[in-house]
Amino acid sequence: MEFFANIVEILSKYWKVFLITGVSKTLILSIITVTCGAILGLLICLGRISKIKPLKWVLTALVAVIRGTPMLLQLYVFYFLVPKVLPFKVSEFFSIVVGLSINSACYVSEVFRSGIESVDHGQMEAGRCLGLSKRQTMQKIIIPQAIKTILPALGNEFIMIVNDTSLASTFFVGEVMTSYLIVKGITYLTFECLTIVAAIYFVLTLILTKLLGILEKRLKEND
Amino acid sequence: MIKVIDLKKNFIQSDGSSLEVLKGVNEEIKKGEVVTVIGPSGGGKSTFLRCLNLLEEPTSGEVIFEGVNIADKGIDIDLHRQKMGMVFQQFNVFPHLTVKENITLAPVLLGKMTEEEADKKAMQLLERVGLKDKADEHPNKLSGGQKQRLAIVRALAMDPDVMLFDEPTSALDPEMVGEILDIIKQLIADGMTCVIVTHEMGFAKEVSDRVLFMDQGVIAESGTPEEVFNNPKNPRTKEFLSKVLY
Ligand SMILES: Nc1ncnc2c1ncn2[C@@H]1O[C@H](COP(=O)(O)OP(=O)(O)OP(=O)(O)O)[C@@H](O)[C@H]1O
Ligand SMILES: [Mg+2]
Repeated sequence: MEFFANIVEILSKYWKVFLITGVSKTLILSIITVTCGAILGLLICLGRISKIKPLKWVLTALVAVIRGTPMLLQLYVFYFLVPKVLPFKVSEFFSIVVGLSINSACYVSEVFRSGIESVDHGQMEAGRCLGLSKRQTMQKIIIPQAIKTILPALGNEFIMIVNDTSLASTFFVGEVMTSYLIVKGITYLTFECLTIVAAIYFVLTLILTKLLGILEKRLKEND
Repeated sequence: MIKVIDLKKNFIQSDGSSLEVLKGVNEEIKKGEVVTVIGPSGGGKSTFLRCLNLLEEPTSGEVIFEGVNIADKGIDIDLHRQKMGMVFQQFNVFPHLTVKENITLAPVLLGKMTEEEADKKAMQLLERVGLKDKADEHPNKLSGGQKQRLAIVRALAMDPDVMLFDEPTSALDPEMVGEILDIIKQLIADGMTCVIVTHEMGFAKEVSDRVLFMDQGVIAESGTPEEVFNNPKNPRTKEFLSKVLY
């Protein structure tokens, strides 16, 4: 019972840290990452299905490397590399956002690619036979059909990102996990603090899952 | 209308080796002519047909359509494809569009017709093939035969000068084969130039001006239906016909 009493006490004293340093920053980090990740991911996907061979190779290699190495390691690399390669001063938060976005872009590009590949090849042929260009066929025939596979997978990716942003705490840039480190540092109540942040992540992703579920249902109804 | 000169096509197989599928095909299809292509499986019939509208890129040779070598790399193939309709074995109707939208998409997108004109034309075409009441349905509500009828009128909406058919009835239940063949016969009666790959020998015999027997990457025999079916000269044609006719 002391455990629950402690949790209540921690929350009453430090809820602002969890909410402002934690939840709000995690949401900001996730939204920026998802947005940049989706846009970059689409570009990577387009590059990979384009006819420009060198571009194809570079992007394929990038996706392979990002998918084949741990994310924490990537964040370290970006944390040290981004300030070095950019001519102007950037915040640590910025470097981490770049790292998270590129990581998520690579996964998202795979989501797009497999979505496009899930559409029967005959559809492209039928479009081209009518005299449509490759681009017109993509826009009017392939992508509208691919969206059905892409959206649910993209939703899952979004939820993954919310949880993945916790890795940013390693660099103390402020998100839910950082708020955990702060409060634990003051109270020394490790287990209580862990329980609180676990609950926060759980509720965040639960809300997201529900929202995405509603969105998907809407899209199905529009069919 | 279509002239094919020394057409060759090699496929690179998954193990890296090259497979010679067309070994130098020469052929001329005239305006208004109905040409059927028959022959054993793997003989290169589909590849030949698909080279006619550059769905397969020839390895070498020329495909001259209405005076232009469309196998030439510098050509805008999309423009020429508008004049060549194609119908597939697997229908390939667009499942995310309604029956009517399947037909109107290309003419409107390519600026051939306004939306109203395309709509009107689509309804005329659908009426002609008995699908008028399905105009606003999605293709998943259609039977195989109805899907193929849709695929045919979708191609016709572009006002093509020639229609290419690759085994248009092979994926259909037997009771639906007749309705599709009837529609093709109608087209032929209207004077459409047609190239038809088919396993329906009776149909080929009935409608063809000329029959091409394709085997092992070449046109092994070519002639009127009487010549090819009743009096084949090539032993391979004889062998093939003896297998499929009885
Ligand atoms: N995309 C491809 N890649 C590699 N090989 C191919 C490809 N398409 C066709 N082939 C091969 O080319 C040969 C001829 O195929 P094609 O489809 O033209 O024959 P077909 O006469 O149409 O046969 P069917 O009556 O079975 O349709 C076959 O051996 C086939 O395996
Ligand atoms: Mg074939």
